Order: sequence, then structure tokens, then C-alpha cells
Amino acid sequence: MKSVDSDFSPSSLSGLAGNFPPRVLLRASGLTVRFGGLLALDAVDFEVREGEIVGLIGPNGAGKTTFFNCLTGLVMPDEGEVRYKGQLLVLRPYKVAEAGLARTFQNIRLFPNMTPLENVLVGRHCHTKEGVWSALWRGKRFREAEASARMAAAEFLDFVGLVPDEDLSAHSLSYGDQRRLEIARALACEPGVLLLDEPTAGMNPRETQAMLELVQQIRDRGVAVVVIEHDMRFIFSLCDRIVVLDSGCKLSEGTSVEVRKDPRVIEAYLGISPE
Amino acid sequence: MEQFAQQFVNGVVLGAMYGLIALGYTMVYGIIQLWNFAHGEIFMVGAFGGLAVWTALPESLAENAFLALPLIFTAAVFTATFTAVLVERVAYRPLRSSPRITALITAIGVSIVLQESVRLFYPDGKRPQSFPGLVAEGNFSIGDVRIPWVSLFIVIVAFFAMLLLQAFVHATKTGKAMRAVSQDPDTARLMGIDVNRIIMVTFAVGAILAALAGVLQGMKFRQIDFHMGFLAGLKAFTAAVLGGIGNITGAVLGGLLLGITEVMATQYIPQGSAWKDVWAFIVLIVVLVFRPTGLLGEDVSVRA
Repeated sequence: MKSVDSDFSPSSLSGLAGNFPPRVLLRASGLTVRFGGLLALDAVDFEVREGEIVGLIGPNGAGKTTFFNCLTGLVMPDEGEVRYKGQLLVLRPYKVAEAGLARTFQNIRLFPNMTPLENVLVGRHCHTKEGVWSALWRGKRFREAEASARMAAAEFLDFVGLVPDEDLSAHSLSYGDQRRLEIARALACEPGVLLLDEPTAGMNPRETQAMLELVQQIRDRGVAVVVIEHDMRFIFSLCDRIVVLDSGCKLSEGTSVEVRKDPRVIEAYLGISPE
Repeated sequence: MEQFAQQFVNGVVLGAMYGLIALGYTMVYGIIQLWNFAHGEIFMVGAFGGLAVWTALPESLAENAFLALPLIFTAAVFTATFTAVLVERVAYRPLRSSPRITALITAIGVSIVLQESVRLFYPDGKRPQSFPGLVAEGNFSIGDVRIPWVSLFIVIVAFFAMLLLQAFVHATKTGKAMRAVSQDPDTARLMGIDVNRIIMVTFAVGAILAALAGVLQGMKFRQIDFHMGFLAGLKAFTAAVLGGIGNITGAVLGGLLLGITEVMATQYIPQGSAWKDVWAFIVLIVVLVFRPTGLLGEDVSVRA
């Protein structure tokens, strides 16, 4: 499948073989959300290609989280559409998850009274087929399916650097570990695109560095990542492409070098026009 | 002492039935924070569904407990589940995002509608209907304690139903999804869980348990009437609050404690039997005053 986009930036090819531009996984066109009289998103176009890490930045209230909510069906757009692998997405949360979009939250939202492993198992919901009767009967097939689901869940925990502990509820994990667990749970959906909403909020520099490496490993697994962050060093050293939102509009888009030099971006952040 | 033991057994039997009904209350509350006051009527409708099928059976079949019982239970479960799912779809789902009090008043309305429907449309429904006993009459004895066979049957059915429920909630995918929805519905949606379906399943599971309780109650007292769900529902509600709102083990424990309390108060407090139905509500008030989260209730702040 060949993409026809001509404005493709070469930097996002890094880590990918072949000369064809990677195909577009996710494309939002003309997304518009109004909250009463407030235009939270104003006809935003956005796309993610295979193997990309895209940064989504902008001042507070720019509409970044609303954009994520819109993609995942928590907020219905007033206009616009989202396509995933060319298919029109039905913007209902569970449909979006089935299609292949998973996310984490700015304020962590785990299932607090489940163990970390159970949290990840819920994440595998779309990928476990299991009848009620077989579960109650606990036959050989069920036990095998259960064992493999647990094994997969344990692998996801291991991937983000957590150790499964049967006696621990998710709410008693440390803050950084809760963030990692949320990512493990999202990955358990086996998404094609992972949306991370401020993954390093409240983290110290060492944890932030570990998160940076984790996101790169996620990309290496073949999952494209969109990340909202306020930590510019994190964004600039991680992302292939950066999209800047301001007051619900897409202000700028490009590589970190391009975005950093864009006078509109500097104005939005610092409130002054450069010479 | 034997009197105490005897009453203890009676309390456990009564409590097992309260527990079965309380489970439906507590599960629905856990998942959509609705006190489904029509749940007592689901219990009643289940009993009537079972009775209707038994009445329609040819005599040779109706006398045979091994054939009739499964049919009665199946009919009761189907009637109750169908009613509960219909009520959820028609009355509660449209109100999912309205204030809680609206849904609560709707539940009370649904409860009246169901009672009156049975009264009006079940043949001779305004009078109590006699219910088959089916399990062998008579008792067996442990020491000096006499236990009717039907009581043993009730405890066994209730015990296995609760065991199955526990397995369902903890081992199945749907059960896991149910727990996820009760802790955070929005996040559960994003994990690919169809929340509306899970809510429907919750109502259905509650209805199944209530239907079992309805048939058991009919078998024990040999009589059912359109009004039976009212008091049973209120007591099950008390049991659910006593055990801890939203807590499955708590509902069973609350049911047992309530059954035992009621029986003991009737036995040992002078003139206690005249106040038979008051003890449950005294317990309710005491719990609400001193431990509103119930015996096994979680600290609410952990949920949020």
C-alpha cells in the first residue's frame, strides 16, 4: 500500500526499512468540538503513520486532551471524522478499543481494587474469547486459555518493568509504577496506535528518562505513539513529528527543529512576536 | 441450648434467602449506583413464573419432583431475567445520566407496576396462590435439632448459587469486565468493554438469583402472593447495606446475619414475634448510624 502524501518528512523514516513512506494508520479530518459557545477543537486535521512517535503540544487549554477524548469516543465531535487503517471509526469507546486505539490518562485511571495483573487482564478484554460455561466448568481448554492470558499479561507487566504481585492492589503502587501499569494495560489491548496523555507528569528526571526509553521500545514493537507532554526536552528528543495546538486550532506541524523555529509557536508559548 | 441451635438453623435458612436477593441489589448498586427497589418484585415475578409453569404441567409430571423442580426453576429464572432486562432497557437506561433520585423514584414506580400487573393479570392474582412443596415433607434430625428437608434444600441451592456467582465474577471474562465497570465505567469502555451489555448482564444475574429465592420461598411457605416482594425486597436491601454496599461477600454475610438476628429476636425478646418485621429495620438504622459503609464496605474514597 503506497501513501500518496507528498509532504512526508523523512525523519519519521528512522528505524524503518524500505523507501516507501510508511502508510497512514490514523487520520482525523476536520475534527470540531464545541462546548456550548466555546470552540474546543476547530477543524483539526491529524495523522499518524506506522512506526511514528508524534508529539502533541500546546499551552494549557489548547484542546490536547479534548482531542484524545474525541479520538477515543469519550467526547463526540460535532464535525469531522476519524479513520483507522482507512476504515471509518465508530466513535464509541469500546469500538475504538476493538479497532486498535488505546490510551492512558493525564490523571491516572486504573481499576484501583484490582491487582496489577488483573488490570492488565481487563486490558486484554478484546483479545480473550471465553464462554461463561467453559469458565464455570473450568475444562482443559479454559485452563489453557486462562494460563495463556495470564502469561501474556505478565509479559506486558514485565515489558514496562513491573513485577506481578498477587496481593497488591493497584492503588497501593507508587505513582511512577501506576503510570507504567496504565501503559501495560493499554498495550494489552494490542493497539496499533497508543495515545499517552502526559506520561511523565510528576516524574523525576530519572523516571522521565526511563519513560523516554519505554516509549521508544513501544515504537520498536510496532506500535505508533501519540504523546501529549509539557516537558519539551522529552518531546524534542523523542518525537519524529510534532503537532502544536493552540485554542483548538492546529498552529504548526513538523520536526522538532521546524517547530522550535516557528514564530507562531514561540508567540503562542511566550506571548510575544519575535523580530 | 437446643432451642438456640434450632433457631440458629432457622435463621440460616431465612438468611440464605435474604442473601440471594441481596446479591442482586448490591451488584446493581455496585455497577450503576442505583438502588433498584423493583428488585423485590423481580423475586416475586420469578416465583409466579415458576408457579405458572407448574400449574400447566400434566399431573403425572407435576407430582414428580425430579422433573418438575428443574422446570419450575427454569421457568422462574426465565421470567425474572426477561422482566429485569426489560425493566433495565425501558425504565433505567434512558435515565442513566439523570440524577440518582430520578432513577430511584422510577424504581419505586416500576415496583408498583410489576405488583399490580401480577395482581391484575395472573389468574386470581389478588389472592395468595398455593405453591407446591415438592421436596419430601418431614424432617431429619441432628441431635435434638430437627431440620426440614426443604430447609436443607434451600441452603444447598443458595450455597451453590453463591459459589457459582463467585466463580462467575472472578474467573470469567464477563465477571472481570463487571468488576472493571463498577470501578471505573469510562476506562472500562476504553478497554473494549461494552458497558451497556455488562449492565444488562448484571441485571440478569441478579434476577436469576432472585428467581431462585422466589421459588425457594414458595416451597418453604407453600404460598406466594403479589405483595411478597415488598417486604422481602426491603429486608434484602437491609442485608445489602449491612454487608457493605456493592460487596458480594457482604451481601451474603448481611443476609445470614439479618436472618439469624430476626429469628433470635423473635425467640428471645418478650413479645418479639409481634415485632417480627421490625428487627430488620432496627438493624438497618443502627448500621446507617454507626457504620454506614457496612461490615465489609470499602472506604468510599478508594473507589473514586
